Amino acid sequence: MFFKKYGDIVISVFFMALSAVMIYAATLLPKSKVMEIGPDFMPTVVGIATLILSTALLIISLKNLKTRIAEVDANPPADSDYKRMLISLILILVYVFALKPMGFIVTTLVYLPIQMYVLADAEHRTRKDIIVLLVIDVIFTIAVFFLFRYGFKIVLPQGIFTINL
Amino acid sequence: MEAFSSLMGAFVSICTPSSLLLMAAGVAVGIIFGSIPGLSASMAVALFLPLTFSMSASLGMNTLVAVYIGGISGGLISAILLNMPGTASSIATTFDGYPMAKKGEGMRALGFGIVFSFLGSVFSFIVLTFFAPMLADVALKFTPAENFGICLFALTMVAVLASGNMLKGVLAGMLGLICTFVGMAPIDGTTRFIFGISDLKGGFAQLPTLIGIFAVSEILIFAEKKNEGKIQKIEIKPVKGFGFSLKEFVQQLPNALRSALIGTGIGILPGIGGSTSGMLSYVTAKNMSKHPEEFGKGCPDGIVATETANNATIGGAMIPLLVLGIPGDGVTAMMLGGFLIHGLSAGPLLFVKNADVVYGIFAACMICSAFMLIIEFFGIRGFVQVLRIPQHILMPLILVLCCVGAYATNNRIFDVQSIVLFGVIGYLYHKFGLPTTPFVLCFLIGSMLETYLRRGLMQYKTFGAFFTRPIFVVFFAIACGVVAWSVWKEVKASKAKKSAAVK
Repeated sequence: MFFKKYGDIVISVFFMALSAVMIYAATLLPKSKVMEIGPDFMPTVVGIATLILSTALLIISLKNLKTRIAEVDANPPADSDYKRMLISLILILVYVFALKPMGFIVTTLVYLPIQMYVLADAEHRTRKDIIVLLVIDVIFTIAVFFLFRYGFKIVLPQGIFTINL
Repeated sequence: MEAFSSLMGAFVSICTPSSLLLMAAGVAVGIIFGSIPGLSASMAVALFLPLTFSMSASLGMNTLVAVYIGGISGGLISAILLNMPGTASSIATTFDGYPMAKKGEGMRALGFGIVFSFLGSVFSFIVLTFFAPMLADVALKFTPAENFGICLFALTMVAVLASGNMLKGVLAGMLGLICTFVGMAPIDGTTRFIFGISDLKGGFAQLPTLIGIFAVSEILIFAEKKNEGKIQKIEIKPVKGFGFSLKEFVQQLPNALRSALIGTGIGILPGIGGSTSGMLSYVTAKNMSKHPEEFGKGCPDGIVATETANNATIGGAMIPLLVLGIPGDGVTAMMLGGFLIHGLSAGPLLFVKNADVVYGIFAACMICSAFMLIIEFFGIRGFVQVLRIPQHILMPLILVLCCVGAYATNNRIFDVQSIVLFGVIGYLYHKFGLPTTPFVLCFLIGSMLETYLRRGLMQYKTFGAFFTRPIFVVFFAIACGVVAWSVWKEVKASKAKKSAAVK
């Protein structure tokens, strides 16, 4: 609901702030000594263009805000499951940051079943389903590791659990 | 004739058992990705990239081509049987495909879709094979000025792409441009906007960025969705052959030819891609038809128009990719990544230095289309089974493969972390209704644009001197024209909307 109603305003404010910061940061960049335009030229141009466009978007969306709210209230969008999205995002973040220190095999073995369980709907959370998830998890992880290790000669992060075959 | 003999040579050289097997596997995987809604052809190519590392450049590129072709075509299966387009290219296939399937003519609809997908791709590959080398000859003489003009033109296509809500579309692209500024500036190597993170010195790597935007964001979008209705059971009645007669086939040919031309033409223009060409061709077929009232109720003409056009787009999109190194859409952007990891740079020089790879790709295109025809025809039941794999199992596996793919490119864990960043950006884009294609297009073309501009200025001293190059002037004029036209159209549309609201 919020995204549909006020999304455009949020975007325009975000882009206005971003472009303002970029224009300022570009002035701090060194000027080129050999030619007219240096590394600061393109960021400045793009920054100014973005600032103009986002201001225009802000004005237009503020002007149309009333009709927009009425429109969205008339046909409300489908509800979103933000809790599940956030849990998934946290899981993914933990996964990518643990990948190097813990190694591919350990992190993937832990990550996959938890993520699958989170994404599954209530009917797919029986004991039998969980066993299936775990079996897929183990086979997939081992298969990918060895496929890359021996098939493509790429060693995925080994971490605490080293395999030397 | 030189092109012809090189092509024949390439056919011979790629017809080894291992390369044929890899291409067949690539097509099959592509079809699976294409047919599952939520998985796209770009995602399939992204996941296949690391697998091509240990292959030779030619073999690797051919495998990627196979995945690409399968991925675009596979969308028709779920479009017809489930009323869900597997890829954006097949949206218009659902209009007539699903009504046909409901009437019990599912297999016939699939038959039309498969055969004309094949014909569409073959048509565009013939165009590609004979035009690309000629264009490359011209492109070889380009100076930075011409290349700057073409990049500028390609960027203005973002405005066309974003029509309907142009401000948002263009802003979506601006973030892509801004992302290209991170890292070392072209020419002088001044580091910009790296916030003290030394991993950012090289800028955001292309591959992780694209994987994040296309694949990781899909997982977050999926996680957010409340569970919808389950996939219904699909009935397929067996039919003889492809389910249509020779006479019906001949009747469709004019429609197919027109659609193939639309598809190839749209493909050549950067940034528009298969989804638009499919829709455009569907609408054209409907307008030109003698019985437009049958469209949308299960008329094979609609399937033929869409599927011919979206597959013909592949060959068209390969032209700017190979000749100029400018990707037209998400999938070709990933293909560009494929060139990078094999140490090739797409562009006119590729035709001189690596002619074997280029003609190998042409030959692979033809062979893969044939594979697509065979695999889809015989494997249709198998693909229907694959559609039943629950997405909560599939999505995490894909995430792991994305991470592995991003890591394998440079053996940097930083790349894996950056796919999450771009995944979140892709997700936020989705939430705020910003299109991702402008972002990708600007991200890929932005750094080229800046490099060519500055290199051109080194060569010509002033920007005014760019205008002594006629090809630059043409592209500059077209670019200005495109912008003016899109703005005019946008203003007109919003005025019409307002007056409609007043009434």
